[in-house]
Amino acid sequence: MGRPSPVAGEEGPEIPTAPPRVSRPALLRRGTLLIRLSRAFHGLTGGFALGLLGLFVALVAVLARASWGSIFRYGPGFLSGPTWDPVHGIFGAWPFVAGTLVTSAIGLALAVPVALAVAVFLSELAPPRIRLALSTTVDLLAAVPSVVYGFWAVAVLVPLMAGTIEPGIQRTTGAVGPFSGHAGGLDVLTAGIVLAIMILPTISAVSREALSAVSRQQREAAMSLGATRWEATRLAVLGPARSGIVGAILLGLGRALGETIAVTLVIGDINRVPTSIFSPGQTISSLIAGDLNSAVAEGPAVYGALVELGLVLLLLTIAVNVVARLLIWRIRGGEAGGARHRRKHSRSSLLLAATPTDPTHVPVDRWHRRRAAALAQLPRRVRRRHRTYLLLAALCLAATVLAILPLASIVYTAVQNGGSAVVRPTFYTETQPAACNPGVLTPTCPIGGVGPQIEGTLLLLGVAALIAIPVGILIGVYLAEYGRNRLGPGVSFITDVMTGVPSILLGVFVLALFLRYFSNVATSAIAGSVALSILMLPLIVRTTEEALKTVPVSVRESALALGFPRHRVTLRVAIGTARNAIVTGVLLAAARAGGETAALILTTGGFQFWPTGLTHPIGALPLLIFQSGLSGYANWETDAWGATLLLLAIMLIISVGTRLLLRRAPASE
Amino acid sequence: MSSDVLRGKLSVRGLNAWYGKRQVLYDVDLDIPDGGVTAIIGPSGCGKSTFLRCLNRLHEETPGGRVDGSIQLDSEEIRDQNEVFVRCRVGMVFQRPSPFPNLSIYENVAAGLRLLGIRKRDELDAGVLDSLRKAGLWDEVKDDVDAPATSLSGGQQQRLCIARALAVGPEVLLLDEPCSALDPIATTKVEHLIAGLKATYTVVIVTHNLAQATRVADHTAFFYLGKLVEFGTTDGIFHHPKEKLTENYVTGLFG
Repeated sequence: MGRPSPVAGEEGPEIPTAPPRVSRPALLRRGTLLIRLSRAFHGLTGGFALGLLGLFVALVAVLARASWGSIFRYGPGFLSGPTWDPVHGIFGAWPFVAGTLVTSAIGLALAVPVALAVAVFLSELAPPRIRLALSTTVDLLAAVPSVVYGFWAVAVLVPLMAGTIEPGIQRTTGAVGPFSGHAGGLDVLTAGIVLAIMILPTISAVSREALSAVSRQQREAAMSLGATRWEATRLAVLGPARSGIVGAILLGLGRALGETIAVTLVIGDINRVPTSIFSPGQTISSLIAGDLNSAVAEGPAVYGALVELGLVLLLLTIAVNVVARLLIWRIRGGEAGGARHRRKHSRSSLLLAATPTDPTHVPVDRWHRRRAAALAQLPRRVRRRHRTYLLLAALCLAATVLAILPLASIVYTAVQNGGSAVVRPTFYTETQPAACNPGVLTPTCPIGGVGPQIEGTLLLLGVAALIAIPVGILIGVYLAEYGRNRLGPGVSFITDVMTGVPSILLGVFVLALFLRYFSNVATSAIAGSVALSILMLPLIVRTTEEALKTVPVSVRESALALGFPRHRVTLRVAIGTARNAIVTGVLLAAARAGGETAALILTTGGFQFWPTGLTHPIGALPLLIFQSGLSGYANWETDAWGATLLLLAIMLIISVGTRLLLRRAPASE
Repeated sequence: MSSDVLRGKLSVRGLNAWYGKRQVLYDVDLDIPDGGVTAIIGPSGCGKSTFLRCLNRLHEETPGGRVDGSIQLDSEEIRDQNEVFVRCRVGMVFQRPSPFPNLSIYENVAAGLRLLGIRKRDELDAGVLDSLRKAGLWDEVKDDVDAPATSLSGGQQQRLCIARALAVGPEVLLLDEPCSALDPIATTKVEHLIAGLKATYTVVIVTHNLAQATRVADHTAFFYLGKLVEFGTTDGIFHHPKEKLTENYVTGLFG
């Protein structure tokens, strides 16, 4: 603005030189080219976004196609049939449906109260100083891979259940009805508890988000009426956040229904309908993880039946996730007021107001005396209300500690059992040693390592990242930059729903797809990578979209005003500004994929030697934990604990590191 | 502290306030007269809202909020009293209308009464009716007090918030830019309401709208950069300011 003022002490004002002249036709040609490029970029990203919808449809279609025969042969009786006997061709899936429902119900019943208490504590009641540290720790629970939970549960939780907790429950309840039977630790109750631990961080994190979406002013309005912190939470926060909290619980349910590996390890692996909480059982996902690979060899009947179970689970989790996301989106859209208000006591008597006389029997002066009396009694009442607040805060703190306990125990157990492995250089370079018999670690035990599995994990992740990162970012770009149309919100929504699809079903999808079209590489590194890339894709899409949306309009507009074409604004300016958040999303997606087990069991074949190529079977760290963790050979189990510790360390470093990355350089205000 | 003869309803001495390390109020001494309307004016960021939030001890609930100094309500130090009790005596209404969105009109007003321990149906009815009348909202909502509070217009919501604050029987009412989110007609209604309330309540209103201060306030305090520059009758502040800074502000030279 204004004329440039001469700067004292310099040689004199610099005379601005005229910009280099470009001929008009050249400028026009260049402009036309840039506009074409911009359109091509728009089309490219839009194509990938449509592709994501296609992938979602394909997920359902491929599973439906592979189970077509089974669906027609067994009809609706398939789900209610009480007997599963593939040898005699009897396929009744009720034991697994029941197992899935019972374990999820137990998990939900245990997790919801604790998770909500954690959310309320971290969002409302905790002193600000400890909030960040505690919420980071609770969020770390979500970063622990499923197989680590399972392995820890078998080592620590199952003995505790069998030795102390379950006999205790049986003593107090008299061991009747749902508490009857032999309590051996490997049962639906233990599976439910493991599920509760695993879904707790999901429920508490999403609930916390819903709570903090309520504006500060609401809380302050309640406090200005004389509410304590807890009363302000109850009055002003829980109500508006209700639909978000229900959404959070449903997301937790979706995870519980589809959780595979941890449940597989502790549920007891018995194909019967559970009759008590101490019955061993089987869930849909644990059955698929255990039997699908061998079913491919056993023939189309068993295979089709298992894929049909997968389809049932898929539709169930999609339905749960759709409802959950709809509830959560309502909060995010700022429609907290859309929550139905409470019509307490059905209708208030003031409705009679339409009559000309006063609608109440209490005259104003009597009412004033009553209020004065209430105010006079207030100091005594306040002490009681304050005690209630302190008690609830203490309970919520206790819940938070309870939620963190498993993480502490997992880290402790992994260090104790695997510490000796990870400090050994051969651990990273050697292959699995010969098994050490009997199962006691002696100096004579052969020593090896998990070198092939580390290489396998890196290879799988590398290929998966090569597919998922560019595609994911392009789709994210489309949603953030061009998504204000009918397609955009739909793709965003489907992406959210896809993050809730159980990973085992991604494995089933890839296996079925490869069996149909590339059956010679159905269990191979490339199949595993494809499965992992589908797992990573929605996470990358969403974080890219969210990150780009935080780039201020003013930044874009100033770039556009300089004559940048639209696609260059996106690629250079917007992505540049949002880079840290996108990197974070990619790292977190990679962390999830790196710990993934269920999808890899089905697609890679699990392999103990050095990787030989993309078309061959391959090993991975989580698979090694799953396969040799409970082998009974001491040296194998030590290496499995070492692998657990290694995975855990990487996951925790990524989770904490990305937080620091984001905090140090926020993308924008 | 010896010359208590002319102390006001609220008597503020040596008030300092911080957000984290940033100090936002410096040594404020101010006596808010009993009854009538006192306006707090000043440019953005001068600490006028923070000052208001100190008066019902809400500032200390803000993350990083810290207060130092003395505030006496009827010659009793409010920091020696329970904050719940203080907030029942000193009510507050915020900038944006903030009814509890999931509650009905009736339940919004009854919320504070339930906190007081009033549970009987007819007593609640009397309280809600009385408060809605005082806030001038009764005639507009009497046909359906069970409707959601969010179904009201912005101005009605703000008057509902005033009714909600009045219900618990405060002596002082703090209004933090209550009209800045409202259209002119709704603003006029709220201003008339304030004029009617000042007979019964001591009203303190923060406003960035100088004309509003001249319309509603008996006394005016001018804040600048966290310090109280001048306090006096509204007429005095706007027409015969003692400080040059005040004169420059009220005549529109800056701000």
